[in-house]
Amino acid sequence: MGEVIDRLISIIIAAVILLVIALLHVAYLTYAERKIIARMQQRLGPNRVGPRGLLQPIADMLKLLTKEDLIPYGVDKPIFYIAPFISLVCAGTGVALIPLWEKFVLSNINVGILFILALSSLSAYGVILSGWASNSRYAFLGGLRASAQVISYEIAMSLALLSVVLMAGSLNLVDIVNAQINSPYKIYLIPQIIAFYVFIISAIAECNRVPFDLPEAETELVAGYFVEYSAMRFAIFYLAEYFGMVVMSALAVTCFLGGWVGPFKVPYVPFFWFLIKLYFLLFVYIWVRATLPRYRYDQLMGLGWKVLIPVGIINLFLTAFLKLIF
Amino acid sequence: MNWDLIIFYYLAIVMIFSSVFAIFSRHPVYTVLLVLVMIVHQAFLLLTLGAEFLTVVQIIVYAGAILVLFLFVVYLINLRKETRRNVFIRLVSLIAIVFLLFGAFLIKNLFILISLKPSFRAYLPFSIEEKSNVWWIANYLFRNYLLQFEIIGVILLVAILGAVFLIRKVKTVE
Repeated sequence: MGEVIDRLISIIIAAVILLVIALLHVAYLTYAERKIIARMQQRLGPNRVGPRGLLQPIADMLKLLTKEDLIPYGVDKPIFYIAPFISLVCAGTGVALIPLWEKFVLSNINVGILFILALSSLSAYGVILSGWASNSRYAFLGGLRASAQVISYEIAMSLALLSVVLMAGSLNLVDIVNAQINSPYKIYLIPQIIAFYVFIISAIAECNRVPFDLPEAETELVAGYFVEYSAMRFAIFYLAEYFGMVVMSALAVTCFLGGWVGPFKVPYVPFFWFLIKLYFLLFVYIWVRATLPRYRYDQLMGLGWKVLIPVGIINLFLTAFLKLIF
Repeated sequence: MNWDLIIFYYLAIVMIFSSVFAIFSRHPVYTVLLVLVMIVHQAFLLLTLGAEFLTVVQIIVYAGAILVLFLFVVYLINLRKETRRNVFIRLVSLIAIVFLLFGAFLIKNLFILISLKPSFRAYLPFSIEEKSNVWWIANYLFRNYLLQFEIIGVILLVAILGAVFLIRKVKTVE
């Protein structure tokens, strides 16, 4: 009994540390996004709170915490309350499975990659339920779009990850990174370049980011599925979106870019290379947002079903065939 | 009391109650959500047996795909009127009797289970410690039951083709 409690406490402490680090990353990701997009659009961006606006995320958080929590008339209350939390939990739990370093992974399970896919498929519930419970036309349409989009792009994403699994011969994320280190190219980006592109495009669609942000298209749906939410509940949806970005980028780093391994070892900071790669991919997310216009809905569905899924299947067969030969 | 048992009772009780409420709930969206709770707990029950692959597959397939589609259908039909009807209430007494009989049977089995006081890992048919769960499933599925697996695949393909055939647009000759 005592042993179990000791283990439980150590796991909880590790989880809290990881959660705080992840939350800080998420908070400053919003700041980085605003700054980078401002730079790309010849603006200044936030620069009032603290030096160079560095305290802006904290000020935003305080503002959202102290605002009034409005519940519109006619919503389905229990579902309206839990929907943002479903989104946040499904998006955030994935962080626990990512190996930041060979010896620092909170939960090293044998089916890590599948578990992340399961969580991302569950996150559809938060969106659908919030859209339904809001009892508003905009939210309803946003929820419909989001669920169709998430379900379609999930297939392409799974196919891209399956070819990585096939190459590594394991579903365990630590084993996948180790298999990459032992492979001739050191990273799977080179042999699996097609899968990498398919994965990145579907990851952007999964997180409902520009250019696939149809569920929350401002010009058509105001804010989409979370249009009726305010204050903290709105902030939770926001957090969930950025958590989703972090988890998807970290998964891409683990599966395609070789995880914690770099050209040379950095002393005392074992996850230096992991973070560098992660920041680069997050920058790509923001870069894409500042560059590309939004897709039309039929174009979005056409891209998912007629391009990404066939390409993913062909890549999977090709990988299997080559693995059989060599 | 050992930890396995506490977890098992928690999962079992939540599963039974969520299933019962799913039957009695008149609101289709709540029914789908309660079934979701049931399926997630069922997945964790598989986890206590050391079957992590089945756990994840259960969540991906049932919770992530099938129930989302159910929710999608519920979403698209207007249920504001139907949820106010009292049709199901008449059936409650009948269902309650059936459920009580069934429950008694379950509780009897539960007592047998308590008397065994098992460590659940002892029930594993083979040690999954040496090879992973995924390996064993793949081994059985693709060596011993390959033909059956392929037949199921073909049946599903036929079902999909049938659905596509039914919804296709009929081109009229002008």
